[in-house]
This record gives sequence, structure tokens and C-alpha cells, in this order.
Amino acid sequence: MPLDDTLAQASELVSDDFRILPAQPPNRGTILKTVSQKQQSKDHSTRITSGELFSIFLKAGLAFGGGLGILAVLEDELVSKRHAVSRDEFLSIYGIARIVPSGTMTALAVAYGYKFGGLSGTVIALTALSLPVFVLTIALTIAYRYLRNSRLFDLLPVTIMPAALALFLRLNPALILLAGGALGALVLQKAEEQNDTKKKGSEK
Amino acid sequence: MSLWKLALLIALFNLMTFGNGPVMIPLLQTHLVEGSRVLTQDQLLYAFTIARVTPGQANFYVASIGYMLYGMPGSIVATLAIILPGYIMIPLLHGFEHLRDSRWIKGFTNGLTVTSVGLILAAVLQIARGTLTQPLAWVVLIAMLVMTQLLKWNIFVALAAVSCLGLLLKWLL
Repeated sequence: MPLDDTLAQASELVSDDFRILPAQPPNRGTILKTVSQKQQSKDHSTRITSGELFSIFLKAGLAFGGGLGILAVLEDELVSKRHAVSRDEFLSIYGIARIVPSGTMTALAVAYGYKFGGLSGTVIALTALSLPVFVLTIALTIAYRYLRNSRLFDLLPVTIMPAALALFLRLNPALILLAGGALGALVLQKAEEQNDTKKKGSEK
Repeated sequence: MSLWKLALLIALFNLMTFGNGPVMIPLLQTHLVEGSRVLTQDQLLYAFTIARVTPGQANFYVASIGYMLYGMPGSIVATLAIILPGYIMIPLLHGFEHLRDSRWIKGFTNGLTVTSVGLILAAVLQIARGTLTQPLAWVVLIAMLVMTQLLKWNIFVALAAVSCLGLLLKWLL
């Protein structure tokens, strides 16, 4: 009964993107499954193979903008496209991952790797997520000598950084509203500060 | 300083800062640059810049520091030092699953869900303050929003397109 309640709530919350079929409620929203349950649920719930797990996390590892960029890709792949995780569960797992004393995205890779592939799944997810950044970091460190005084880094603020910011906003329509309001407040505050300094300048 | 001491130091700082990349910088500064003087200020700054250029997790600059000090083994050990604590997630999830149906946990989960949205927004705003410092950045942001939200382009295609747009505008203006 309690599980049904949760499911009913969840389906109300996420009904736009994701519908829970009455025929298979016990398989939805379960974070961890014992081996026997895994066998039973194979036919019903969305399964993710090791290959898919690798490609999803590799895509996430290629996302710019740190943790939130990765989160946007994961949400897109796991929730919107594959319906492997409900939106509610996705946010809950993110909340738990924030508590873990390591990188939040590292914790997420462990969580989803474990959920879809057990311990070997965690290794697959972590490897896929870390491969791009690790290879690039080492390559750039080797190039340290040559890139030190280059102007390449000056171009970032007008290319990848603002674009990455736009990707964060895809996470939730409510975020766009909130962010719009907050940014408006920020701009107003800045404008006032500038007015103040101008006034001070003219007084002098 | 030995390789293992470096690994221990990084693991400890990582735990202390909850894996928050930028927050670790001052700690590394006091210990590696000012304390044992194995790293120069320039090297640390370069490592941090790398973290901002590369895709993926933001705290992987420790791999760069590991490489500067001990070569390839150093980078691998430093990376493991920040990745392994992530496995604490498994017992946490197990505990969460056992208690999932209790009323307390339901309330807790609802709270977590709402808080997560707030946390994401807070992080977005923090990055926005540091990023949207010039008009061109706003142009790129808006172009990216149009491409991904309205035109539904693939993320990577859109990313490449707006990056070119940014470069072009910077070059023209």
C-alpha cells in the first residue's frame, strides 16, 4: 500500500513526461534490486546494458560546465529519453549524492552504475565519466610549457562558458522562471551600484 | 613529500570540502605551494585553469597536479583519491531503500527533491555571476537557449555552433 501511494504521487508529479503503467508498479522507482528481483523485472522495467551505460556516461563526461553540465546530460538520457528513472527519483538520488563527501557527479556515477550493473557497473560508469576529462587534463598538463602564455584561455568567456550555462537551464522549466527573476534582481542591483559609484564620482 | 602522502592529502581535502573543486584550491595552496613548496603558484593556477577548460568533473585538476609532481602514476593515484570516496553512495542508497516506505523518509525525500532544485539554481546563479561579465557572453547564452529550447538541436552541434558564433563576434568587434 505505501509503495502504491508513492507511485501515485510520483505519477501525478511527472505525468507529463512519464506514465506509470498499472500492470508493473513494483518495478518502478526501485533504486536497488536484489538478484532475484532483477530476474523477475527483466521483462518489465527499462533495462540499461553495460554498453549503453558506458555511452551515456561518456556523453556526460564530455559535457562542459562541471557538475551541472553532466547533470543535464544524465537527466536528458535517463529521464527524458529512456524513462529508466523517474524525475522524482532522479532528484532524490541527486540530493543523496550531494551528501556524499566526494564529487557529486562521481557519486551519481556510482549510484547509476550500481543500479543498472552492480559493482562492475560502477567501474564502467566511473571510467566512462572520467575518461575524457582525465585524458584532456593530462594532455594539457604535458602542453603546459607551450600553452602558458597563449591567448587561448581568453576566448573561453565568450564561447563555451555561457553556452554551458544555457544547458543548465534545460533541467527544469521552473528553474528558467526562477533564474530569470533572480538575474533581473542581480542586474538591477548592479545598476544601482553603478549609479551609486557615479554619484560618488560626481560629488568628488 | 612522497606520492602516498600526496594521495592522503588530496583524499583528506576532498572529504573536507565534499568534493567541491574550487574550494580545495586554497587548501592545496597553503600545503603544496606555501607549506612544502613542491609546487609553484603558476603550476597550481594552470592546473585550475585546465579544470575550467576541460569537460567533465571540475575537480580533476588534481590529476594535473599529480602529473606535475610524479608523472603518470601520480595522476592516477590522485584521481583514485578523489573517486573512491564516491562508493559511500552504495550504503547510503541501501539505507535509503530499506526505509523508503516509512512516512518519515517520504517527507525527507520530498524535502530533498525541492532542495535539489534550489541547490541547482544556486549553483547556476553562482556560475552566471562569474560568466556573464560581458555583453558577448549574453549573446552566446541567448543563442544557445534558442537552439536547444526552441529549435531542439543536438547539444553538441549547438555547442559547436555557438562557440563559433562567439569567436566570430569577438573577432569582428
